[in-house]
Amino acid sequence: MFDLIIMLSRYLFLFYIILFLWQAVVYVAYEQGGYLGSPSRAVSIQKGVIVWLHVTAFLILSYEPEMMLLDFKALSTGVAGLVFLLAAMVLLDKFYYEGCPLVWTGMLFLLDVSMIMLQRLDPALALRQLMWMSIGIAIMLFIPFILRLIPRFEAFELVYIIAAYGLILTTLLFGTAKYGSVNWLKIGPITFQPSEIVKFLFIFYLASVFRKRVELKQLLITGGLSAGIVLLLVLQKDLGGALIFFMTYMVMLYIATSNELLFFAGMGAASVAATLAYHLFSHVRVRVAAWKNPWSDVDGGGYQIVNSLFAITTWGLLGSGLTKGMPKSIPVVESDFIFAAICEEMGTLFGMGMVCLYIMLFFRGILIVIRCQRRYYSLLAAGVTTMFAFQAFLIIGGVIKLIPLTGVTLPFVSYGGSSVLVSIMMLGLLQWVNVYCEQHDMNYQNSLSQNQNETEWDGDDFHE
Amino acid sequence: MNNLKRSTQRIFWLITLIFFLILAAMAKLVLFDRQEIASSPYNPRLNYADSSVKRGSIKDINEDTLAESVDNGDGTYTRKYNRSRMAAHITGYSSKGKTGVEAAENFELQKVHNEILQRIEYILTGEPIKGNDVILTVDMDIQSVAGNLLGNKKGAVVVMEPSTGRVLALQAYPDFDPNTVAQNWESLKDDPDSALVNRSTQGLYPPGSTFKIVTALAALEYYDGWQNFTYECKGEAVFENKVIHCYNNTVHGTVDMKKAIATSCNCYFAELAKTMGAEAIRKEADKLYFNETYPFLLAHSDSSVVLNGDSKENEIVETAIGQGKTLATPLHMAMIACAVANDGMMMKPYIVDHIQYYNGAVSKTTVPEKLDEVFSAEYANIITDMMVSCVEEGTGTAARISGIEVAGKTGTAENATGSDHSWFIGFAPADNPKVSVAVVIENADQDGRATPIAAKVLQAALEKYQ
Repeated sequence: MFDLIIMLSRYLFLFYIILFLWQAVVYVAYEQGGYLGSPSRAVSIQKGVIVWLHVTAFLILSYEPEMMLLDFKALSTGVAGLVFLLAAMVLLDKFYYEGCPLVWTGMLFLLDVSMIMLQRLDPALALRQLMWMSIGIAIMLFIPFILRLIPRFEAFELVYIIAAYGLILTTLLFGTAKYGSVNWLKIGPITFQPSEIVKFLFIFYLASVFRKRVELKQLLITGGLSAGIVLLLVLQKDLGGALIFFMTYMVMLYIATSNELLFFAGMGAASVAATLAYHLFSHVRVRVAAWKNPWSDVDGGGYQIVNSLFAITTWGLLGSGLTKGMPKSIPVVESDFIFAAICEEMGTLFGMGMVCLYIMLFFRGILIVIRCQRRYYSLLAAGVTTMFAFQAFLIIGGVIKLIPLTGVTLPFVSYGGSSVLVSIMMLGLLQWVNVYCEQHDMNYQNSLSQNQNETEWDGDDFHE
Repeated sequence: MNNLKRSTQRIFWLITLIFFLILAAMAKLVLFDRQEIASSPYNPRLNYADSSVKRGSIKDINEDTLAESVDNGDGTYTRKYNRSRMAAHITGYSSKGKTGVEAAENFELQKVHNEILQRIEYILTGEPIKGNDVILTVDMDIQSVAGNLLGNKKGAVVVMEPSTGRVLALQAYPDFDPNTVAQNWESLKDDPDSALVNRSTQGLYPPGSTFKIVTALAALEYYDGWQNFTYECKGEAVFENKVIHCYNNTVHGTVDMKKAIATSCNCYFAELAKTMGAEAIRKEADKLYFNETYPFLLAHSDSSVVLNGDSKENEIVETAIGQGKTLATPLHMAMIACAVANDGMMMKPYIVDHIQYYNGAVSKTTVPEKLDEVFSAEYANIITDMMVSCVEEGTGTAARISGIEVAGKTGTAENATGSDHSWFIGFAPADNPKVSVAVVIENADQDGRATPIAAKVLQAALEKYQ
């Protein structure tokens, strides 16, 4: 009987994610001038879907067929998760009144999937992840205050880049290795990935530099400094991190200069660098070999990717049903390979829905970039958006063997304190840009209409 | 719109595009590559059988059950192999790992069609939840004839339908009882005769004179002078430092290609190979899927021909008569016979006819597929003519069947393990081929040669398939 319920629940999960995505379409349609339904109702339905997804999944996860009882521990994690979700929904709306609601619901959906999958894989991890999520949201609520406290934080470009280098070099010297990459730092009982914090510093640095007219001198300096960070990450064997930083740099450079030639030249240089890295570093060769033909070394280098492919393909479009698969046969399934586990148990269609969800989040981020009137904030938003979208692409593409595997986390979903914290705070930053720009834009419009010459300080951004 | 916004839009489309690549790759994985990936023997999910599911049966083309799961009365199942040894190398075993069709079609056998309906039915009526049945192309009537003829002679028999590539029988000895593999594991796994190895698909034998068909085809294809090429056979000849004998040192006199095939004249083919060179033979062999993997469901070995431009003369002449380092599997030699019978079109060999759901509905009927047109119909007719004369008046007279013209080629392969292996490959009826056969008997003595066995198998198969 329980087996039957799990079988049917697969359709329910698919229904949830399709309904969720459809409501996003309804919202966007209204925004673009069409009408498929009320946008506020669409957001409410999305929130409802998140709650129902959570309740359905945790009822299945806490049921014990032998005892015909619900497991108390799993159930309490579920209740705690539900409280977290509801509290986040209320607080986020309060603190970011003008934030984009689709970004919040999208993020919460992903966080909920993360909780569900971690509860399935390892309940202890689910609890810890829930704690990190709560801390992340709590910190994020204060981002607007913090940023308001520091006036003109675009002026500190040197501070950002020096801190970034400091952190990366410290890791290189004192770091501990985990899963083959030396990108963890241990301070007392806490281990964290400094490269996650460097992501922030890097985006702030580039936005600060590129807000001005980009001259050759800046181009060379930022290019050199960014290449340095990328190289240091390669030395730490953090290939995924290196790629993310590189792409973020290229995108921000392109957006700031609108120079296609520069973009393609950068890509060309990267191809040369990648070829060099392939010949210089054995760990790069190992990754590429495992991608090209994992079947030739199933017990060795190809083990992870082959098991990931088994998980995704064995059960077909709808998956095995929650708790019915074997996701634990994939190494590091709770972090890098969590997407394979989701495809296995909730279905590949659900996984494809999640990819659409990332596209949706990316779209909202780009919209914020385009709507924002100030160059500096546009650049910040562009950096954040590209970074998390490209990271999602890297790991999903790696897990399905579209591209060579690079060990990065799936934003909001993979287990990992620093990853979740930074992902949440990045979206906080994005939303804050949105809030700031909308307010600023309104003030600007008001001042124009009142024909006042003295407007609020508008930054020293370069104006085209 | 300013530049920044336009660039941002371009970046949006670029990254959205790569996300769509992901969606496409996922769809491809789960819709097209699924079967191939998921049925890999490395997939741990396949061994994790849902104990509430009754694994599907394996049946032959007449729906005769070869393997089925029998309820122990307590909801658990035991795998039972009704035909035991007779089909052992086809079904394989399913304790101590899986082999044969049990391994290759594990995915289908374990897969539950209409799972929700079946589970509801199970709750309501207690009717077990059934996996899909696999229906083979194998005909147990022919498989049994082949098995009985093989008796306790080491070797293999392969019977195929040339026009489709359907495998009608795949028999090999030594064999084993799949029902008792777990009990006998210790002796089976270290068996000196490798009883667990399916000789029909994995056994690599020197093909002996049956390989002359390949040499002849190489001449047809790459040596224009073949029609006028004759040789004065003296029973033996010296090539470089290698002495080539005809069987029993028989002197064949003046022979052309047809007579050389019929009488299996080694000296003729050695001289022919020397004249046309190593590369022609190698090219023809490669075309016929030597040194290359062809698709087939069960585990199989690749046949090999090692000639190249640098090969020495003695190597060339040895290869031309199927000796030296030349190795072939019985299945592959049967495929070559099929290609000759099928006007040069080599078909993809297949052994699963269709999958059958719990409710009797048929799914996934295998459609015969062409592998490659390996030579022209004209050459096929010439070779057929030569093979007919081999059976009518040459070394293969033991394969004659009254009223039916048989085309065939015998082989006697010297080897390191003792007396010669005996080969026969052929098909019948010669003018409208319905059945092909390849038989190999290891270290054959006078009473147990391949040709008469092949004749009886052909006769049995023709009774059903003509």
